[in-house]
Amino acid sequence: MASLVLTIRETLRYRGAVGQWSWVLHRVTGLGVVLFLILHVIDTSWAVFYPSMYEHAIKIYQSPLFTLGEFALVFCVVYHAFNGLRIGIMDNRPELWRYQDRAAYIVLGATVLVLVPVFIGMGLHVVDHYQEPVNNLPLTEVLISQLPFAAGMGAAIIGALILSAIYGVLMGSEKATVSAKHSGSPIERFWWNFMRISGLLIIPLVFGHLAMMHIIQGVFDITAAGYPVVGVPQVGQALTDGSVVIGNGWNDAGSAVEFVAERWTYAIAGVAIWRVYDIALLILVTLHGFNGLRYVLTDYTMDKPLLRRASVIVCFIGALVLLGVGGGALLGSIEPTAIEQAKHAMRAVSMAGQ
Amino acid sequence: MEVTFRIKRYNPEMPGRDKPYWQEFTLTDVAEKDRVLELLHRIKWEQDGTLAMRRSCSHGICGSDAVRINGVNALACKLLVRDVGTKIQVEPILGLPVLKDLVVDMEPFFEHYRSIMPYMVNNDPLPADKRERLQSQADKDQITETTNCILCACCTTSCPSFWANGKYVGPAAIVQAHRFIFDTRDQITRERLGELAEPNGVWRCRTIYNCTPACPRGIQVTKAIGEVKLAIRKGATKNIVKVIEIHE
Repeated sequence: MASLVLTIRETLRYRGAVGQWSWVLHRVTGLGVVLFLILHVIDTSWAVFYPSMYEHAIKIYQSPLFTLGEFALVFCVVYHAFNGLRIGIMDNRPELWRYQDRAAYIVLGATVLVLVPVFIGMGLHVVDHYQEPVNNLPLTEVLISQLPFAAGMGAAIIGALILSAIYGVLMGSEKATVSAKHSGSPIERFWWNFMRISGLLIIPLVFGHLAMMHIIQGVFDITAAGYPVVGVPQVGQALTDGSVVIGNGWNDAGSAVEFVAERWTYAIAGVAIWRVYDIALLILVTLHGFNGLRYVLTDYTMDKPLLRRASVIVCFIGALVLLGVGGGALLGSIEPTAIEQAKHAMRAVSMAGQ
Repeated sequence: MEVTFRIKRYNPEMPGRDKPYWQEFTLTDVAEKDRVLELLHRIKWEQDGTLAMRRSCSHGICGSDAVRINGVNALACKLLVRDVGTKIQVEPILGLPVLKDLVVDMEPFFEHYRSIMPYMVNNDPLPADKRERLQSQADKDQITETTNCILCACCTTSCPSFWANGKYVGPAAIVQAHRFIFDTRDQITRERLGELAEPNGVWRCRTIYNCTPACPRGIQVTKAIGEVKLAIRKGATKNIVKVIEIHE
């Protein structure tokens, strides 16, 4: 902790060039994305496991606080992606270092360039939404609804500390992290390469995901009745008699669960392409994100074996939970009754809002 | 010309001064071409003899007067007033224990240096003339730049990864390792690459690029670290070093 405080203070004091600030932004944006990833994967899994809770979660995502957060998230993703490319290029061509500062400015410029139309697109959804009177959930309810996540993360941290302490007692004091043979750590080499390759694969996947879920259709459209579902062909017209058909490409009931069900059901040649897409994204982003988190945490805990081990364990727990929960949902199926449940829950939420 | 100095002081043996604090000094009759080191001398000789600092050759070769000047690591003997202005802030380099004022304990730094085995290993019999192991000019060019390192610690103590984690071997030790890894006469390349592929080796470098401009010898430090990473990834040392001349 002391070394984290010292590094933050001295990074602000040291007159490093743009490379230093790129590194700071890369860390901050990476942490931002991981934080959202935890909420997002767990929330989305509820579409399968607890449909009514999913409906409520989307309602929360439609609140002003999360709208602000959504803009911040998109900035984080875009900057992290572009700067990651810069890092990857410099890693493979170290002799290009003289262009790294120019590259850092190009990254910033490209981020702004991409964000202007993206934010306009996203902003139009927000403006659209507020054209009509809306029943926003009160801020306190939005915040309270996030408490279980905070508690879960707290529990993961405490659990990691306990496991780390037990390991310390069982295995005795350790000789830091240097392997006996000094032959190098194949694990570190693997993860170092993984970060570069996965980053490259994630960029098209996550940009596609952002385009579909934040620009073409925003979070407000997910619950709009009679709206087409993005990425799925529409058949005929949306049903307006209160009944629901999965597979017609329309969000008949205006239910977030139905939206997810439409996307995950759609198959080309027997392959549910959006499930495959989401599984690929889930695996790559989770591993990339939690290994990045491990880098950040262990950078500041190397001199404290208890905290260093706990840092690794907490990242392991986080990745395992997200892969388990998210993977379970992606491999599960949404029952038709789920949408009914979700609709009831929605009505209850909107009644409470009034 | 008048110059104001702001110097970070610390004296663990003196009650009241055993916490780091800033002290200001004003110097008159200063010329633009005066070196920061000379002015530090003037403060020590004319105003406060208790000011502790290190210097030996005063000509940018021994590397003993590395300090942080106006927020950036440099050798006090290589910066002129012209380069830094008339308000000059001087503090010890960061990441090594401060012993007194501007003097830090370099031992942890040298420990990292020793860990990379800073000597050539070659078990072949000596050449016929029993003198030198010759190499081609092209082979020598690969290591010319990294042989210029004077171990002043400017790079290592400009690195946020090193500030956070003193066990990270640090830029200077990697530069020194580079000099032997890409020396075609050395025979323990595998061991060297293995040592640097440890978790506290090159992987802690986050390509922040503070080290390169900090080097008073103009060594392209981050490039050298990148080349060592490439050698570890490829398990080979051929065709990795791209020689670039820099003219300051």
